[in-house]
Amino acid sequence: MKSVKIKRPLVSVVDDDESVRESLPDLLAEFGFAVQAFSSAEAFLNSGNMARTRCLIFDVAMPGMSGPDLHRELKRRKLEIPIVFITANADEKVRPRMLEEGAVECLIKPFSDTDLRKALDAALA
Amino acid sequence: MVEARLRRFDGAYRWFLCRTVPLRNEAGAIVKWFSVSIDIEDRKRTEEEIRSTQTKLAQMGHVLTMGQLTASIAHEVNQPLSVSGIITNANTCLHMLAANPPNVEGARETARRTIRDGHRASEVVKRVRALFGKENAALEPVDLNEATREVIALSRVRFQETHAVLRTELAEELPLVNGDRVQLQQVVLNLIQNASDAMISVRDRPRRMVITTERDGNECVRLTVQDAGVGFERESLQRLFDAFYTTKSEGMGIGLSISRSIIERHGGRMWAALNEGPGAAFSFSVPIVAKDATCAGAAVPS
Repeated sequence: MKSVKIKRPLVSVVDDDESVRESLPDLLAEFGFAVQAFSSAEAFLNSGNMARTRCLIFDVAMPGMSGPDLHRELKRRKLEIPIVFITANADEKVRPRMLEEGAVECLIKPFSDTDLRKALDAALA
Repeated sequence: MVEARLRRFDGAYRWFLCRTVPLRNEAGAIVKWFSVSIDIEDRKRTEEEIRSTQTKLAQMGHVLTMGQLTASIAHEVNQPLSVSGIITNANTCLHMLAANPPNVEGARETARRTIRDGHRASEVVKRVRALFGKENAALEPVDLNEATREVIALSRVRFQETHAVLRTELAEELPLVNGDRVQLQQVVLNLIQNASDAMISVRDRPRRMVITTERDGNECVRLTVQDAGVGFERESLQRLFDAFYTTKSEGMGIGLSISRSIIERHGGRMWAALNEGPGAAFSFSVPIVAKDATCAGAAVPS
């Protein structure tokens, strides 16, 4: 009998906070995703796994390339990866601005597992 | 003796100190004049440089305070990041336990991380606290008079600019207080600057500032900065020490709030009162170096 390998959709996490890179992949794995975590936008862009990434979870405020910068760079490379922004900035103005930039969702840290699940469902729909 | 800007032999204008003394005969009549002109241009320039250096030092003091504040706020802003990890880990833990069969080993690992990150977050809070007020162990005996004199020396330029007349009434044989010297000096500097600012628009009376130190009961020492400035509305008395409350057009409203938190961490108290005449007085009391000294019972006008 030929074994059937079910490919789990790949979610990439980009965050400079180590505790997020450590904790979020486990939760995403519980949801049934394959996960890769990167500490910067540059590391993600150099990974060669962009084309396989079905959804990108990205911290808005990081040293180096910002969320909107990466968004533009992906567009330039003709990669239409749905992005879920995450941010520690509870400012009400951030979310509408990110959605305007074309993000699927913008979650304020700390976010619940249900909100994350909803955002991923929307991204992969 | 007079200082004057004179033309030197080579045509350059420089500052001179001129002294003229008469030589008299026995009858007291002037026979001759002796006159000497000392070129003090270089001294004048040095004085000017000292003044500008003092201004810069005072500004650096400000920047330092603001820098510490910014650093602590940055820490606070960062704190939700590890909180975010805690919540994600706890969620993962629940998911692993709810699975069929439950992933006990995975749940144990994420619970461990949750505890570790919780400790990390509380470390951050501790560091912020340490920035604003040292733990008791770090306190040292401080001569409040001496510390105040240093701040006054630093503020000299400010007094000249605002034409404020300073009187100091520093009590002799003032007991040493238990404190962080630099933080107490920041509080005094803040009070002096507030007093100067309050007097800048005053034109109809002398801009008098009085700095007083005295004993406050058996266990505390009190410092008061009294000004003849614009004072404040009686109703705002309760809000003066609130963060981001200010009556100044250029103030951020954090000076008094930080000052009070520094004083409270020293186990002291801080308060404000309106003068009988124009102006206001700001005071604080801090415990002296003695076992279990507190200012809780210190006389504080309501």
